[in-house]
Amino acid sequence: MNEVYRYFLIFLGALLIYNILLIRFIALCPLMGVSTQVETSIGMAMSVLFVMTMATTVSWVAWNYVLEPLHVGEFLYIPVFILIIAALVQFVEMFIKRSSPPLYRAMGIYLPLITTNCAVLAAATEAVKPGFLKLNIAYHFSLPEALVYTIGVALGFGVVIIVFACIRERLETSPVPHAFRGTPLAFIIAAILSLAFMGFANLLGL
Amino acid sequence: MDWSIVWKAILALAGLAFLFGVLLAVASTRFQVETDPRVDEVMGAILGSNCGACGYPGCQPAAEAVVAGTAPVDVCVAGGRAVAEAVARVMGISLEMRERGVALVHCKGGLSESVPKALYQGISSCAAADKIAGGGKACSYGCLGLGTCKDTCPVNAIIIDPEHRRWVDRERCTGCGLCAEACPRGLIEIVPRHQEVLVVCNSGDKGGRAKRICSVACTGCKKCEKVCEADAIHVEDNLARIDYEKCTACGDCIEVCPTDVIVRVVPVKGSKKQQPVSARDL
Repeated sequence: MNEVYRYFLIFLGALLIYNILLIRFIALCPLMGVSTQVETSIGMAMSVLFVMTMATTVSWVAWNYVLEPLHVGEFLYIPVFILIIAALVQFVEMFIKRSSPPLYRAMGIYLPLITTNCAVLAAATEAVKPGFLKLNIAYHFSLPEALVYTIGVALGFGVVIIVFACIRERLETSPVPHAFRGTPLAFIIAAILSLAFMGFANLLGL
Repeated sequence: MDWSIVWKAILALAGLAFLFGVLLAVASTRFQVETDPRVDEVMGAILGSNCGACGYPGCQPAAEAVVAGTAPVDVCVAGGRAVAEAVARVMGISLEMRERGVALVHCKGGLSESVPKALYQGISSCAAADKIAGGGKACSYGCLGLGTCKDTCPVNAIIIDPEHRRWVDRERCTGCGLCAEACPRGLIEIVPRHQEVLVVCNSGDKGGRAKRICSVACTGCKKCEKVCEADAIHVEDNLARIDYEKCTACGDCIEVCPTDVIVRVVPVKGSKKQQPVSARDL
């Protein structure tokens, strides 16, 4: 398979076909919680992209140079990856607080939320640990492949949460029966959007 | 049993944890930001629910403003006196309690008092109605009755009855002023809590027209101005206004007002027990 095409398939598969929010329903909490305003959802999407990419990089190194040589990865991967994500988020928070206060004000409130975000753990695990991938393209990713996959997952998260926030903002001013206002309506929209995303199944043989 | 896997697991996890621990410890000293420790203390004193009633985007910016001296110590309106005292202790200054105001909607006209000019069926939002030829009411100053203030109120102190009249639960109202900002017609004023006599109209129309389009409009007749002994009420631009500093709450103006635009309300005091206030106290 052509190398560029292969990267394209990995990216597209992570972004649309196995979309983390609407196909696999991982990280429903930010989908419902942070999607009431377009502005905050963009902030959350950016923060997730940033943290996810870094978490995968560090996790990949930890897996391939620490866990795998010691043959302890099979049962230690969850505590180790959580440790990595939590420490990384703390570190990033301190770093941007010092280096870029405007960025900290824009992203700061989302970073603690991401510490325990299942989407970050899921992306890191799938991109790093062999046998967790849904894509029938590879058994184990190299570092560039893992990064492309993670960016695809994060952008898939971002696209969906921003589209979702746009719809919810529009519905704020619509005459909706009182019982459906807010979260119930959000779940109904999520279901309809999810049906739409299921149309991508089997695209390009993925 | 092969114990080596156990040692390896402990070694791997402990090693990584140690590595990240050292990294974070170094980072926390290396990237330390010089912040005023009082900001954290103020943060601990205020409620910290990020309600936004103070007008700042959240509790952290409010705490920073207090320490910077740009916000008063009783910035946390939701917290009330106890929180203000705690913040004052952190800041090391004595507490001068600013009297919290209470919201007043300067319009009495509901569906049966105000003459309509059109039937508004658009988006249920005052700002939208105001943009489309000024909504359904003939009065271009009065309340549109679609409840943007009610939706904005963080403590549910504004009630809208089926006649589209607004009632402020003066006991619940914290005087945060969010409704005053939200109202596209600028109808809502935060008035002093002790003020008993209030003018409840915003009409700038001349007497004849005001009377024609609303049965509870200030016509600018100046009867109140003439009767007031304290020189507290004046008609400017066809609308009576009370100077709250001078008003003695004698009630003479209420007697003479031909359209009942001037009303007396029960003043709101501190404790809820002393002051049973009905929602109908405008």
